[in-house]
Amino acid sequence: MAGSSVQAGRWIERARALKSEGWWPADLCGLDKLRIGRADERFGIVVQLLHHERKQRQTIHVTAEGDPPTIPSVSEVWPTANFMEREAYDMFGIVFEGHPNLTRILMPDEWEGHPLRKDYGVGKVAVEFVEQPLLQIEAPGQAPDAIESGVRVDRLGQVVEEGDAP
Amino acid sequence: MSTAVNPSELVREVEARGQGAFVESFDPADELMVINMGPVHPSTHGVLRLLLELDGERVTKCLPIIGYLHTGMEKECEDQNWRGAVTIVTRMDYLAPLFNEQAYSLAVEQLLGIEVPPRGKYIRTMLAELNRLSSHLVWFGTQGLDMGAMSAMFYGFREREMILDFYEMVTGLRMNHGYIIPGGVWEDLPSGWERPVRAIVESMPGRIDEYEQLLSSNPIFLERTSGVGVMSRSDALALGASGPIARASGCDWDLRRDMPYEAYGEVSFDVPTDTKGDVYARYRVRVAEMRESVKIIEQLLGKMPKGDFKNMDPKLTPPPRDELNRSMEAVIHHFKLVTQGYTVPTGEAYVAVESPRGELGAYVVSDGGTSPYRCHVRDPSFVNLQTLAPMVIGGLIADLVACIASVDPIMGGVDR
Amino acid sequence: MGGVSDVVGANFLTAQLDKLVNWARRSSLWPATFGLACCAIEMMSSTMPRHDLARFGMEAFRASPRQADLMIVAGRVSQKMAPVLRQIYDQMTEPKWVISMGACASTGGVFNNYALVQGVDQIVPVDIYVPGCPPRPEMLIDGIMLLHEKIRRGEYTAGRAS
Repeated sequence: MAGSSVQAGRWIERARALKSEGWWPADLCGLDKLRIGRADERFGIVVQLLHHERKQRQTIHVTAEGDPPTIPSVSEVWPTANFMEREAYDMFGIVFEGHPNLTRILMPDEWEGHPLRKDYGVGKVAVEFVEQPLLQIEAPGQAPDAIESGVRVDRLGQVVEEGDAP
Repeated sequence: MSTAVNPSELVREVEARGQGAFVESFDPADELMVINMGPVHPSTHGVLRLLLELDGERVTKCLPIIGYLHTGMEKECEDQNWRGAVTIVTRMDYLAPLFNEQAYSLAVEQLLGIEVPPRGKYIRTMLAELNRLSSHLVWFGTQGLDMGAMSAMFYGFREREMILDFYEMVTGLRMNHGYIIPGGVWEDLPSGWERPVRAIVESMPGRIDEYEQLLSSNPIFLERTSGVGVMSRSDALALGASGPIARASGCDWDLRRDMPYEAYGEVSFDVPTDTKGDVYARYRVRVAEMRESVKIIEQLLGKMPKGDFKNMDPKLTPPPRDELNRSMEAVIHHFKLVTQGYTVPTGEAYVAVESPRGELGAYVVSDGGTSPYRCHVRDPSFVNLQTLAPMVIGGLIADLVACIASVDPIMGGVDR
Repeated sequence: MGGVSDVVGANFLTAQLDKLVNWARRSSLWPATFGLACCAIEMMSSTMPRHDLARFGMEAFRASPRQADLMIVAGRVSQKMAPVLRQIYDQMTEPKWVISMGACASTGGVFNNYALVQGVDQIVPVDIYVPGCPPRPEMLIDGIMLLHEKIRRGEYTAGRAS
């Protein structure tokens, strides 16, 4: 798989040349290179191209420039890039110049932050375990073992008295 | 009353007012209504929301709004180790979970530079083709249901139970298996596995004949699907469509035949195509694909090789249990593999497989650690959904329902 | 309890009527279509010939929440979907029950991250939790039968104004 880099300024003309050669974009996704040693050229997109006749694939990296990170949009060249660029914008904050409708696509419209950036946390919620008294949950036909609190409940949480029919 | 309607602005305005109005706007001068369809709707195949601008019953504009099932899976993968990310990836396109796993595993294997032994490849291919069959059976059911043929739903799901039984026998689960892992498959096929597969292979062609009898020449079905939702070949290519919807428009491309992977190079099958590009063409292509899948499974059943089912490289696979009694090194290996997982050399890889909906690709980046640095899945439904808007413009709302069913989007893959 | 007692007050006259009303309610629970993700497929499978849900009178999944009295939240609820979920729940008429199907609906499941609501009981009151990823159709039917028992006893968590 051949990989090459294109500067953001030359991206549209390169895309047009590739399209005229017959390359078809399979995928366009964002990439945050913060932790693989490229903090200065942090944001970029990775484009996977496929050539149906030659049966070949190609990968192209385009680095975003400026602040906010900007790349010219290729949705005029390849209409399929429309949703893909919106996703890269939503997840990484890469602005695509010339995109007809650059709005959030996966997150709610008023969401702040760009989730797939490396400085955005996963957002785990701590799970708290609270000590509960040990209850024996009855099931029909089950012989109860000795349980600490001695309370038996049925599956709906109601206490079962001795001698009750299950 | 506003004159020109910009759907996205209208969405924001209406939502800011806190109203979930059914009719978003109505302009008596234009007679254009903007109507919201979904995300909770019986015919949108999941949580898809469509903002439609209608002139009476005719659709003049269609704006899909997605994200109602966004689960942050790509971020979640970065938090798991390489083996654990399989369980996350498998829940993306939930009707074809083995394809997600297969694409991801192939990409990681490319980074690791390892080979899957032949038995592993054959098992994966066979399970994948069974998955294609079960996914198309659900498509058949929902396509029929949306057209009013409710029996189709019952037929499709009845057959699917046979396949799910086999999955349960092999992987332990009916869906979201977590079975195809980098290196091969998780466990070997249990003894006696040939019988259920033979039962499927023998009964399916007759059942598919029944389905064709039910729908293919049914005048109501033909009325509702012929000439409806036509997508030309150039549109399909421009919008990035792949899979049965592209093949029904004349794009003769199938990754299994044109860039073979796994065991597809060793079986022979046809790739059905059609030229009309309407809903009926997509129906014919998928039904023909079901028959081809049965053929492939039959061939694989006949020549399943013996041997290892996964790459037994000690850096990837825990050693056999009795080794742990003898060798300290085996204990250390086992410990590290279970707690941390294995590391994958730095690099990036993109591998695509032909899923029931089209090209499903996994783009994986490694920084040399025990978890993926970036795991992006190119989901076919996400890209295929872009073809919906041009397909339905000019048609009736009833045709819209037929078109959505024929595109067969799976929102889990669209939103990830 | 339950039945008509909630409306007119409990007395010895309403006890038998309660039993009748509760029997009617649990024998024809109509679920609202709220299938979100993978669990929706298993929910659909539970209505299909193998695990026939129609024997409980429940095969009529109503698309309109006004006509439904059970909401089976089948699948993961994202942040974008949460207000929609609440709105559909509010539009359902009383008495109504909620089954949280699957691990994602019950607690957030496999996904503990920014995008999902960690348990649908943060948004709507839930009567029955069905674990699993996804739960087998038999497990869902077990949960539904437990709900029937709950209705027989006249309890409901979800329908209370909350």
